[in-house]
Amino acid sequence: MMDTERLIEQLASDLQPVRAHDVPRRIAAGLVGGAVVTLTVVIAWLGVRPDLGEAMRGGAFWMKSGYTLSLALLAITAVTRLGRPEATGSRWLWLLVVPVLLLAACGVAELLRVPQTQWLAMWLGQSWRVCPWRVLTLAAPIFVGLLWSFRRLAPTQLRLAGAAAGLASGAFAATLYCLHCPEVSVVFVLTWYSLGILLAALAGALLGPRLMRW
Amino acid sequence: MRYGEEELRGWMIGGLDGFSADHAALLRALVPLLGGFYRRHVRGNDADIEDLVQETLIAVHTRRATYDRDRPFTAWLFAIARYKMIDHFRRHRRLVPIEGLEDELACAGFGEASDARMDVAALLGSLPPKQAAAIRATRIEGLSVAEAAAARGIGESDVKVSVHRGLKALMARVQGDR
Repeated sequence: MMDTERLIEQLASDLQPVRAHDVPRRIAAGLVGGAVVTLTVVIAWLGVRPDLGEAMRGGAFWMKSGYTLSLALLAITAVTRLGRPEATGSRWLWLLVVPVLLLAACGVAELLRVPQTQWLAMWLGQSWRVCPWRVLTLAAPIFVGLLWSFRRLAPTQLRLAGAAAGLASGAFAATLYCLHCPEVSVVFVLTWYSLGILLAALAGALLGPRLMRW
Repeated sequence: MRYGEEELRGWMIGGLDGFSADHAALLRALVPLLGGFYRRHVRGNDADIEDLVQETLIAVHTRRATYDRDRPFTAWLFAIARYKMIDHFRRHRRLVPIEGLEDELACAGFGEASDARMDVAALLGSLPPKQAAAIRATRIEGLSVAEAAAARGIGESDVKVSVHRGLKALMARVQGDR
């Protein structure tokens, strides 16, 4: 085994200065790198919905992307914290229920406006079978990007860090998926988008302890 | 020689800014600090402890970007040391149920505990070396009076008197601070 003094000399000799705010920069880099891949997949494989310009003038598009983006921002905040070794107190993660509850309230309002006979059709939409799986698949490149970011970070709660990274990947992937997905119903988004994002978070929680060890 | 939070943090920030001398000074100062920490918590031989110390030094070096210049350095350091310790348990004692241990060790308040440890180190530093050594051996490292006496080659009553006088002096100092 190497003698400690020699080790110290070696470590000190190849010293590179570290910029301030290196952790958020590194996470942003991984996130953007992964998101570019996901965006390419959305455009090349699924295709942008043809009526995107029109949809962007309506409320449903912003309801969907607002929901997924708010989850994504909360999750990425958690990721940034959990990348530091002394991260404590994840109780504020309960804030994640706020977008869910807001969307649920919108969903109830929506259901009350339409006759009961249409409820099932609204809930299932055209794409309920594929939506969660697409979100999960699209989350993979972003998750890989975040794993790259974590290579120089120091998470000490690996399961939680993995879950947060999975959640952030899922929520960002869902946001990009909005460019393709033509669904308009709130209850659809509440169920199937959330399910896809949740699957991504679960996958992250399973993979975190294996892939984030250092 | 033990260093306090302020010195360690100063060196850490110097290292982050690219000063090799500061970085080396930091790592050298961490060797006894980490050695003490691991000896208290890990039952292993000297080679195990040295391994852990070296691994932690490497982690402090490679993960140094995760230190936030505005936060306490020792809390950051001991969070890494604790993680490396859990990792060590995971690798060497496969019989120990590890699932719960992580949560148990991840409990909040560790930063405060390490700050308290730094305070104790500073206070002990203000005592005559003999009294400080006696208190460290019997009250912090958990040796019996007989063991402490044998280790330093002095009489048991000598150890007892040193502990007694030392604690009295510390008490006076702490109360005087208020």
